Amino acid sequence: MITFEGVTKRFGDGTVAVDNLNLQVPTGAVTVFVGPSGCGKTTSLRMINRMIDPTEGRILLDGEDIRKIDPPALRRGIGYVIQAAGLFPHRKIVDNVATVPYLLGWDKKKARARAMELMERVGLDTKLAERYPFQLSGGQQQRVGVARALAADPPVLLMDEPFSAVDPVVRTSLQDELLRLQAELQKTIVFVTHDIDEAIKLGDTVAVMRVGGRLAQIDDPPTLLAEPADDFVEGFLGKDRGIRRLSFVPAGGLAVRSEQGIPGWSVVLDDDRRPLGWRAEGGRPSEGNGYDSPAKEGDPLEGPVLNGTRPERPPAGEARTRAAAAGLQPFGTVDLNKDSLRAALDAALLAPSGCAIAVDGEGRFTGIVTREALDAALARATGPADG
Amino acid sequence: MNWLFDFFGDAANWSGSGGIPVRVLEHVEFSVIALLFAMLIAIPLGLLIGHTGRGAVVVVVAANAARALPTLGLVVLIVLLVGVGTTWPVLVPLVALAVPPILVNTYEGIRGVDDDLRDAAYGMGLRGRQVLLRVLVPVALPLILLGLRIAAIQVVATATVAAYVGLGGLGRFIIDGLATKDFPSTIGGAVLVAALALVVQLGFALLQRLVVSPGVSGRAQAR
Ligand SMILES: Nc1ncnc2c1ncn2[C@@H]1O[C@H](COP(=O)(O)OP(=O)(O)OP(=O)(O)O)[C@@H](O)[C@H]1O
Ligand SMILES: [Mg+2]
Repeated sequence: MITFEGVTKRFGDGTVAVDNLNLQVPTGAVTVFVGPSGCGKTTSLRMINRMIDPTEGRILLDGEDIRKIDPPALRRGIGYVIQAAGLFPHRKIVDNVATVPYLLGWDKKKARARAMELMERVGLDTKLAERYPFQLSGGQQQRVGVARALAADPPVLLMDEPFSAVDPVVRTSLQDELLRLQAELQKTIVFVTHDIDEAIKLGDTVAVMRVGGRLAQIDDPPTLLAEPADDFVEGFLGKDRGIRRLSFVPAGGLAVRSEQGIPGWSVVLDDDRRPLGWRAEGGRPSEGNGYDSPAKEGDPLEGPVLNGTRPERPPAGEARTRAAAAGLQPFGTVDLNKDSLRAALDAALLAPSGCAIAVDGEGRFTGIVTREALDAALARATGPADG
Repeated sequence: MNWLFDFFGDAANWSGSGGIPVRVLEHVEFSVIALLFAMLIAIPLGLLIGHTGRGAVVVVVAANAARALPTLGLVVLIVLLVGVGTTWPVLVPLVALAVPPILVNTYEGIRGVDDDLRDAAYGMGLRGRQVLLRVLVPVALPLILLGLRIAAIQVVATATVAAYVGLGGLGRFIIDGLATKDFPSTIGGAVLVAALALVVQLGFALLQRLVVSPGVSGRAQAR
């Protein structure tokens, strides 16, 4: 647990970067500091590893005032990842990752073995170990930065906009990787970003800060989205708050029809009971935006499913060609055990039938989620906020 | 051209205490000693100022002094002060000549290291001295070596002044040649000085390859 007690930072030129900050960062969870540029996120973060010392107030790490700890010793126990990665250009990747173990006096062999293990953990090909940082892409460098921060297995990890310098696709995969790692490692993570979507995706708790270094609101993402404390927070959360909130509502409560169709539409399955598409009953013509265009090998059969999973094995090209030839319409699937209400809604919107296809973990048909079922679930989700 | 053959072809020029090998060795000796002293002064100073950011004015003064320094005048002054017969009159001006390029480049090299890198180094828990020696110096090494190379070449070229105060080195060929109108000797001496400077240049290129990390010089091969 990291505790900020009345922490204020005033710089030499009079700038108040952080103003009387009181908050708690719980152990084993991700706490995100988010806010507009210059609101004091970086300053707050850097006070935790004493890169900056507060002007007033104190910061406790598991109850101990960090001012009593020698900064280098403190920092060796706290992983630190920055936007620029900050890899040592003169050292090979493996030695970059092993920086802190070396500092802690591990023998070289053990430190390198640990570094290799971490490279794998963060999804880096260990063939890159003998390269130098300039030979890596930005995304790879950022992964090395994360591996380096984790090398000595510190309980706390500080991350300052670690993913904002890479393109959106790489950013998404780095975020997913972090969530996966965090599920395994359960570190106490403080993550700084100015991107509210990133904050909501990654944070167990999100602290919204406003310029002047004041805390505007601290809450878990669903609460934040449902009940912004004031106009500033509401404005900062942006549009689509309602839809985005649905990401936190499990789809499990949805009613499922076990029949293989609804009036006017039926679901076509393959031999493994995996959905192939919707068929219009009564000879409705295909709409031209379905499978009429020649399918490319490797195309996912259905559109992207937000926060959802695709069937493990999408129908092969041949099956899809058959589906297209049979005049089938697009569909979306939702796994009620894993996905959110938002994913279910999205799956329904993908299909001209207006219904989502419920599947099990293997992608096999379990039933149909109708518009009425979605309506009922939505009504429940948007009902009393604390219900 | 003929003068060169006259000079290098004359067997007498290759032996004895006034021969080419001895003169080259004397020249190298002055230069190396002067360079070592200059390094001893300028490198720690440059590292310190670059690392702490304090005393940058020293670097500015040194850089400007370098341009204004009358080497020969300094030699004469020191001879007047300490008398002939020692190497001091030569070493002091050579050291004074070599310090500024080493100091300026060392300082610039350390200062020029990316702030994010410095930040990451401290953030990992390196102490000040470790940050300097394990991160800043290896990254600044190309510039530090550049400063050394400039200094070395200037020193080698300027060490000819030793001859003015009766000391050895390749300056002897040049100055004695001028005094006795023995132009082959003058030209030959000058060529030897130039050749030595070239050797220095090559030596540093080699050194650079050996000590600068491929990750910094960008020479590493992708695999
Ligand atoms: N060393 C410093 N000296 C003076 N003022 C500073 C210093 N560092 C930061 N500030 C000021 O403190 C305020 C907060 O800075 P900080 O870097 O914490 O913002 P931030 O929230 O991280 O912003 P960004 O999203 O742009 O990174 C800013 O107004 C900034 O100009
Ligand atoms: Mg910042």
